[in-house]
Amino acid sequence: MNSLAITLIILFAGSILTFGLDTINRKLTGWAAFAILIFTAIYFYGTEHNSDFTFHVGGVTLKWGFSQLRLIFINIILILSVLSLLYSIDYMKDKARLGYFYASFIMTVLGMMGVVLSKDFVSLFIFWEIMTWSSFLLIIYNAYYKIKTEGLKYMVFSAIGAYAMLTAIVFIYHYYGTFDMATAIEKGVFSFENHSFIPIFFALGFAIKAAVMPFHVWAPSGYANSPMSFTAVFSGAMSKMGIFGLLLVFTTYYVSHTPGGYVFAQVLAWMGGITAVMGTIYALIQTDAKKLLAYSSIAQLGYIVTALSTGTKLGVMAALFLAVLHAAFKGALFMVAGAVERQAGTTDMTAISGLIRRMPWTFFVALVSVISLAGVPPLGGFIGKWLLYEALITESHNYFLVIVIFFSSTAAFLYAYRFLFGLFLGQEEKETKNVKEAPLTMLIPMLILSIVSIVTGAMPGLIFKPAAEAMQTIGFSSMDWQMSVLSNVWGNNVDMSVIGSFISIVFVLIFVFLTFKGRKTTRRVGTKDISSSGELWKEGENWTFQQDFFKPFERAAAPFYKLKMNNIWEDLGNALEAFFNFSRRIYTGNGQTYAMYVVGFLVLLILFRDYIFR
Amino acid sequence: MVISPVHYIVAPLLAAFAIPLLTKLYKDAARLVPGIVLFYNVVISFELMQQVLKNGIINEVIAGWKPPWGINLVLTPFTAFLTTMVSVLGFTIWLYGFRFKRTLKGGVVKYYEILQMMMIAGSIGVIITGDLFNMFVFIEIVGITAYSLTAFYRERNGAEAGFKYLLIGSLASTFLLLAILIIYTQTGTLNMAQIAERMGSVPQSMKITALIFFLIALGIEAEMFPLNAWAPDAYEQAPSPTSATFAAVVSIAGVYALVRVLFTLFDVSGVHNYLIVMGFITMLVAEIAAITQKNLKRMLAYSSIGQVGLVLIAFGIGSKLAVFGAIFLMLNHAVIKSLLFMTGSYFIYNSDDKRLVGLNGMHKQLPYVSALFSLAAFAIVGFPPFSGFWSKFYILISASNQKMMYLIIGILLVTIIELVYYLRAVGRIYFAKEEMDDVAHKPSLNALVAMSFLALFIIIVGIYPDIITGYLSDAASSLLDKMHYVQQILGSK
Amino acid sequence: MTEFNDLFIKYKDLITIAVYGTAIMLILIGLYAVLLKKHLVKIVIGLSIIDAGVHLLFVAVGYIQNSTAPIFSPGNEYAAPKMVDPVPQALVLTAIVIGFAVTALALSLVIRLYKHHHTANIDQIKSLKW
Repeated sequence: MNSLAITLIILFAGSILTFGLDTINRKLTGWAAFAILIFTAIYFYGTEHNSDFTFHVGGVTLKWGFSQLRLIFINIILILSVLSLLYSIDYMKDKARLGYFYASFIMTVLGMMGVVLSKDFVSLFIFWEIMTWSSFLLIIYNAYYKIKTEGLKYMVFSAIGAYAMLTAIVFIYHYYGTFDMATAIEKGVFSFENHSFIPIFFALGFAIKAAVMPFHVWAPSGYANSPMSFTAVFSGAMSKMGIFGLLLVFTTYYVSHTPGGYVFAQVLAWMGGITAVMGTIYALIQTDAKKLLAYSSIAQLGYIVTALSTGTKLGVMAALFLAVLHAAFKGALFMVAGAVERQAGTTDMTAISGLIRRMPWTFFVALVSVISLAGVPPLGGFIGKWLLYEALITESHNYFLVIVIFFSSTAAFLYAYRFLFGLFLGQEEKETKNVKEAPLTMLIPMLILSIVSIVTGAMPGLIFKPAAEAMQTIGFSSMDWQMSVLSNVWGNNVDMSVIGSFISIVFVLIFVFLTFKGRKTTRRVGTKDISSSGELWKEGENWTFQQDFFKPFERAAAPFYKLKMNNIWEDLGNALEAFFNFSRRIYTGNGQTYAMYVVGFLVLLILFRDYIFR
Repeated sequence: MVISPVHYIVAPLLAAFAIPLLTKLYKDAARLVPGIVLFYNVVISFELMQQVLKNGIINEVIAGWKPPWGINLVLTPFTAFLTTMVSVLGFTIWLYGFRFKRTLKGGVVKYYEILQMMMIAGSIGVIITGDLFNMFVFIEIVGITAYSLTAFYRERNGAEAGFKYLLIGSLASTFLLLAILIIYTQTGTLNMAQIAERMGSVPQSMKITALIFFLIALGIEAEMFPLNAWAPDAYEQAPSPTSATFAAVVSIAGVYALVRVLFTLFDVSGVHNYLIVMGFITMLVAEIAAITQKNLKRMLAYSSIGQVGLVLIAFGIGSKLAVFGAIFLMLNHAVIKSLLFMTGSYFIYNSDDKRLVGLNGMHKQLPYVSALFSLAAFAIVGFPPFSGFWSKFYILISASNQKMMYLIIGILLVTIIELVYYLRAVGRIYFAKEEMDDVAHKPSLNALVAMSFLALFIIIVGIYPDIITGYLSDAASSLLDKMHYVQQILGSK
Repeated sequence: MTEFNDLFIKYKDLITIAVYGTAIMLILIGLYAVLLKKHLVKIVIGLSIIDAGVHLLFVAVGYIQNSTAPIFSPGNEYAAPKMVDPVPQALVLTAIVIGFAVTALALSLVIRLYKHHHTANIDQIKSLKW
């Protein structure tokens, strides 16, 4: 039997197994789920996948296969899921419905793996839907009353996207007579020349999953409200399915640069840019660390969408690089948020601070990931941003977009710093005195993910190599790359490993220095121990600048905050519901009225018989 | 003993009349006999389906009067498939309701079982008969038993629902009689094959008038908008196994009658567009009404109507693939909706609250039933890998072959409405907090077996639909091949 | 008796029209009662009247001028062409039985409704709606 099929079957069986195991032994459930994922990963990486798996079912040929492009996304999915599951074991320990959680978790992994492995549109849709409903189960996991609308919002948007895809898929079958991806792409499904609604519908589905504005509405609360151990996968890996799909949609454009495709790519690039800016701006004003990260996720995916819609070699490389890196640092950051939530009880940045003393390792992970997120050298995020700028400037000459991206990237510093400061730096609150460091099973995944950020910063070639191979499979020519030297058209050669190690050494020295110095000379003051200068203050009020952190900025950008896509969608939903509630009143409850409907309908049919039945 | 389709009808009717006598001998006969009879139906239906697929149409002549003079029972692959499906579901529902109201005195259960069995027998009769007036008689049998079952509970609003159902149902039977009368005066026969043969010589105006009366009368049975107002009340007030039967058996028979008349008897153009438009309106209005429901069974009832709307759309598209999808959807609807009613009934039983609020936090009391309900909810919305996905998929493909893009988008948008209310219900079961006593009415073993069987079917067909697509494909081509039907029946004179 | 027959032949068109007219009038009267009368019993009566009209229509359709009842008896074996169509009559018999059953059931439901709601006005019996 084919190795790909076995991989998926293991996951499917594992999901059912964990669901059942919960009723037998609660403690074992998490470890069993972890074992299943590890086993899947070992099996998957340990086997040669040299043949496609085809399966005829219901008149459709399902085809699953393997390629270099798929491998990148599989790596993201498998590694991140294994780490998150390890993290979950302690994170979820005290919560209810463990079987439900782990079964849905593994089912989501199955869905994602299936999406990436499928080589035909039907199985793409099937796995896409599996992924969607299983992740829906996880989004609504925390509390029904709080988030019932949020979970539904996610589901409704996903369904709109998925059904747009389904419409496109059935029309592909009608126009091109095949469900097979490679054949259909060869026949020009995504060429934007005829039936251009097909790629647009597909892109809609993928863009919704990647939370591109204005379809991002589900994302902030979706990311923030699901259990953090899942959000790491949700934001890190599942949103990448949208990116994977968009890469598919663009394959024809990448090769032949059709004019229709150009327009579409430009539109999408701008949508990505706007998403990046708006996501960043909204991230700034969040006081909840989880919400902040959620908006930051939206913004980061905006970059990736922009990068891949440039259609150039460097741009796609940047997209793939950022996709991997975003999985690493955003996965780590959500885990950090989860660790803080579990240990300190909240992630409200105005309520807690100074956790660096209590959770130094978590702080280290947060620091590394935030640096990577902000795109500061020498970590991996910088390389991705660099590639993106270079692609935009030298290859697609889209200078306005450069400005937009640059703006949002700069503003990203602000919220990245706020995240770090709000949770870890500053004075310590009394309430957090007893907070302990997160348990080892939670720390290890976070540390591994931060090591990814560090290593890819010094040796970006680790990602360049598979990415370059992957790009060859979607039609790009081969690409020069070096393990740790970035070169560009202006003739600069930058050796990242030297810079990386230099900066690391300096950083470590300063860190050690500050730690020792800090121990001796600081005077400890509480956050509510405030000497006011003319301001009136009440007893016990926290007036440090954790409160109203970006007040001036908030004032400056006030017009932006009035633009709330969420409200528009919610108004639409409420209006629809009211309309539905009104229109069901045709069922009046009076039997005689129903009889009148019958007779009236009969009379109508008789009157208009010539028009209806010719 | 040679098995013949007559057994389908004779056995339940005989048993129904024997039950009052048998209960004198043995108290639990009222419970057991229907099960035995329905199981017998299941066995012969599988046997007969094999025969039909192997040897072609079975034309059973009653009392030696050959068609077109006598009444005949016809088993084509299509009707054989539907009878099998109806028998199996009827048996499953009996199994589920085996311990139904066992606390009551024997008498009540007796009436319930008799009526239930006769309703299933009548539905099978509607499906297998080859005679138009005979079909009317069976529709009336189904109708009368259904009215009675709707009003089964004295303490509820059953009488009201039953009366509304009866009022509309009587109008339906009147119009059906008028339609049959017109057909009879024009063709001089009641045999469906012969009518189909002679239909060409009927004047257009008469044909269309008859068609309109058929559309109204059978539209009522098939729950088409705006003729379906009785349905939510009836589904809501009937005992839960009966609601399941309404969805799984009665509505299937209604749709069958409509489709048989439209596809075999008439060749009027415009019917297809009519079915698509009315089917879509039916679906849209039903789902709109369902999304704001507060009552669980009523919500499920509206959802049933919505599914039937989609079935009608698919029949309206009319290509072989569409009919295939329609029959598949009928099967899925029957299985999934029965499962929803079965599980839903346990929620109501446990929370003592018919509203959706009663679902709150039910997963603690009824973990297994909750899982099944969620499974069914996912399946009916059409999430892969459950069976509901495939039927929707085929219907969409057939629509795309006719380039009906707006129809596809419309169907999918309505599906989103459907998705919202089903997922709300699932969310309630798992995540709403509700204080409740821990004493749960656990489902009895027989109910568990029945529900698990349906759930297993949903999953297996969802993962590997090929186990039934062969039958479905035969069924679809037999429905569309009108000439073959006519020849087979009249040729055996 | 012969005089009656002559009379019958003389005004046969009129009689046909009268029979069909009566049938259609009955149906319309019944529909009026069903759709506009508020009292439950009157609605049930309306249903019965519709039924009667339809049955009459059936019999009228099957009638052939100057023909006998469709009964074969000794010495009358070859009378088939002179008989009225037996099928509609058979159908009507069945339909009458069904109509009877429905009416009986309807009336029993009306009694139950009256006990439950203390009214027989259909406008006030709508606890199930929307």
